[in-house]
Amino acid sequence: MSRAAHPDAMSPAEPGRTRTAPPQKPASWPSHPRMRVYTLFGWTGVLYLLIGFGLLETAWSLGQGEVVWDAKLASFSHPAYVAFHLLCLVSVVFVAVRFFRLFPKSQPARIGPAKPPPRPVILAGLYAVWLGVTALFVAILSGAIFS
Amino acid sequence: MTDVCRHDVIIVGGGAAGLRAAIAAVEADPEISVALVSKVYPMRSHTVSAEGGAAAVARDEDSLEMHGYDTVKGSDFLGDQNVIEYFVEEAPKELTRLEHWGCPWSRNEDGSVATRAFGGMTTKRTWYATDKVGFHMLHTLFQHSMRFDRIVRYDEHFVTRLLVDDGNVRGVSALDIRSGEVRAILGRSVILATGGAGKIFPFTTNGRIKTGDGMALAAAAGVPLKDMEFVQYHPTGLPGTGILITEASRGEGGLLKNSEGDRFLVTYDYGVGKKAELGPRDMISRAVVQEIEAGRGISGPYGEFVHLDLTHIGREKLEARLPFVLELARTYAGVDPLTEPIPIRPVVHYMMGGVDTDIDGATSLPGLYAAGETACGSLNGANRLGSNSLTECLVFGARAAQHAVLYSRGSSEGNESALLAQAEAEAARVSALRRHKKGSEKISTIRRELNTTMEEGCGVYREQASMLATVQTVASLQDRASDLRVSDDSMVFNTEVIAALEMKNMVDVAQAVSVSAAARLESRGAHTCRDFSSRDDENFMHHTLCYLEAGGPRLDKKSVHLGHWEPEERKY
Amino acid sequence: MSLGTKKFVITRFDPDRDTEPRTEEYEIPVQSDWKVLDAINFIKDEIDGSLSYRWSCRMAVCGSCGMMVNGEPKLTCKTALSSYGDSLTIEPLANFPTIRDLVVEMDGFMDKFQKVKPWIIQAKERAVEEGPQHQSPEDLQAFKQFSMCINCTLCYSACPVVATDPEFLGPAAIALGHRYNMDSRDEGADERNAVFRGEGTIFSCSYANECSEVCPKNVDPAGAVNQAKFNAVVDWASSFVVKREKE
Repeated sequence: MSRAAHPDAMSPAEPGRTRTAPPQKPASWPSHPRMRVYTLFGWTGVLYLLIGFGLLETAWSLGQGEVVWDAKLASFSHPAYVAFHLLCLVSVVFVAVRFFRLFPKSQPARIGPAKPPPRPVILAGLYAVWLGVTALFVAILSGAIFS
Repeated sequence: MTDVCRHDVIIVGGGAAGLRAAIAAVEADPEISVALVSKVYPMRSHTVSAEGGAAAVARDEDSLEMHGYDTVKGSDFLGDQNVIEYFVEEAPKELTRLEHWGCPWSRNEDGSVATRAFGGMTTKRTWYATDKVGFHMLHTLFQHSMRFDRIVRYDEHFVTRLLVDDGNVRGVSALDIRSGEVRAILGRSVILATGGAGKIFPFTTNGRIKTGDGMALAAAAGVPLKDMEFVQYHPTGLPGTGILITEASRGEGGLLKNSEGDRFLVTYDYGVGKKAELGPRDMISRAVVQEIEAGRGISGPYGEFVHLDLTHIGREKLEARLPFVLELARTYAGVDPLTEPIPIRPVVHYMMGGVDTDIDGATSLPGLYAAGETACGSLNGANRLGSNSLTECLVFGARAAQHAVLYSRGSSEGNESALLAQAEAEAARVSALRRHKKGSEKISTIRRELNTTMEEGCGVYREQASMLATVQTVASLQDRASDLRVSDDSMVFNTEVIAALEMKNMVDVAQAVSVSAAARLESRGAHTCRDFSSRDDENFMHHTLCYLEAGGPRLDKKSVHLGHWEPEERKY
Repeated sequence: MSLGTKKFVITRFDPDRDTEPRTEEYEIPVQSDWKVLDAINFIKDEIDGSLSYRWSCRMAVCGSCGMMVNGEPKLTCKTALSSYGDSLTIEPLANFPTIRDLVVEMDGFMDKFQKVKPWIIQAKERAVEEGPQHQSPEDLQAFKQFSMCINCTLCYSACPVVATDPEFLGPAAIALGHRYNMDSRDEGADERNAVFRGEGTIFSCSYANECSEVCPKNVDPAGAVNQAKFNAVVDWASSFVVKREKE
């Protein structure tokens, strides 16, 4: 069964000449696979919010003395914390893949005389940059470079 | 009490001709108030379905003289030559205007407007926007019309009658489909631009809305319908649905083949000569029917058909030039034109006939004008050339509007109470129809019987006996259509009442078609009589006028405007 | 070829009689090559003449016959019946007020359509005598896709923003404005970008991409809206360097 959309959705500036039934949302929402993906995408925002709070709390704990800071560092290896970060990793990959799928067509048809390359080239470029940046971070964090 | 709206010029129909007329009216006089009344939102108008292109001289190798000659020859010399001369001269200007208004015409490499070959045209002069020309023209016109606030739209209003006082048309009564109320829309001149009447036939490229409303409105007001016997069959429609596969597919190199895989237009003599697939529509439609009759058709669930083969043209060109044909064939015929031929058969496409007008679009009723397919200004004579009609809508839509504006300046408003009384009577008629639950005739049955008899009597090939039988059948359907059962008694968006009103219009138009056809004892253009197989200039070089009067239809003649091109045997 | 019978559960609403929409069921014999619209026409012709809906061209170009088929917006003349099971739900387009049965209120859409100034704007209007302008095939390609919209409004029924924000201009209208902005013959981008900077326009789009998923003509309105976002940002940034003429 469909659910009500905003009662004024798509209504005209001047009232119609006859009584209308109020607009309904599509009955396929939210069960449609595409809508699920979109909703999931929305929910990833909660994870980033939590990460943000975590960062704030970590920064705050720096000012609370060495004992608190050491306890903070120790908590990073807690399985729940690791699991949470793994979830975040999955979510980042999901958001990136979704974004990469939609990105090419949102490119302007051209800037001046320059036209964008074909879609597969854009996609390949996006993935290459992504993998490159990831590799760079892994290298830095593992101490392979800049250590 | 009926709602009264007052304007200067009233345009009935929101397709290419109606919109062009509306724009031309406000261009002619920015102070004027224009009512644009349409039974659908203008972007739904059937202009939207035109595919192949619009003709106008555009290249140095071409000339107005050649376009004119092609048109007059295509018309089998029944076109009025003054109208044709004016048309070919205005055509490039009108298509240029559309270019300025944003129409996405396809382009040559150098950025100039591209043209393609079309049936019956000696050279490339058909402007196109891939194969959705009608769609792009309609949307360009509609969007351009939105900038003028003097154009007041009455969307989804069905015009039921012309309001006439003292021998002048002074408005229309229109059923507001949404509210179910009848309004009197008063003005000083009225332009009919409601398109054709393909729906009186069973197989047609026309959409649901093509029910001949404008022709019936004019006829009811005593204006004659002209040359109604000439019904164009487009040779390439999909069997079953009748969906149009554009002539541009032949312009771009498509070939017609029979069951033996043979290009029959080349193998056998069908009068099209070297033009072959680029012959005019009437001749190719006859050729297809003859192939089928000779047993060289292919049978399918919707009867016999032949093949339109595009497979040799190649993916790149087809996707660039004919994307809509690819989509239509895949969706509605289940074949992929890249690898398989498309099944096609002749299908009713266009009414050469219509409301009798002069070169200005004026009818015999003062203040009443007509343009586009509804009208018969005699540009097309006995057979229209493909891609002339979209241009016709623009050229004569504009001209009718300019003259309607001039007329409205000198005209008075008439006796308003008399006009309102007529609108009240219409309101009562619609209201009675809405309560006609006990009617004995089902709308879909009448439609089916009308379709059947029109196909039998007024098909590609006609015979005197079957035409006369159709005249009889249509007359009886006319009686039966006065007692239609309407099960829907709601005020709001009552589509069954509209269908009943349209059915009345359809039987009226069908009567004019069949009566006019039975009286033309010759074969000319699209009217091909088996009993009289040749053209008879001595007795039939004239237009047919058909008056639909209370006592029955009455026929008359009108002379053809000759002068520039001498009639000759029509051979390609 | 017969495909047996199918059941159609169709939304009915007559403001003269019904306080709210209800459903009615029809079981009819169907053919294998029928589109959904053919079945609805059969019901109208043979079973219930009072069923109201819009349709005309039956070749997917007039844009009248959009309906919700099993909860998804579809152009019913283009949707094959054979791809559905034994029972179908037919509802009026979502996110629109319903006038009657399957007929929705289009005037709100027409208002939005007009807001984007969908016509060529040039500083000086050209005379016919100047002839057609030149436009390279590349320039044509820059906007061609966005000029293919048939105004069927399926995208409005699919858009999650339209469902919640009545002010949202919506996919088709924005794509149309963008179409004219991208036309090399047009000089009205400033006027349209002023519209696009307002509330409830391009930046209300959350890029769900549903509009492009349901578009029967591959117009890709989501692409248009998000290109328009890019252009608006460039336009905004450049306004610090070059002053806008009108504000």
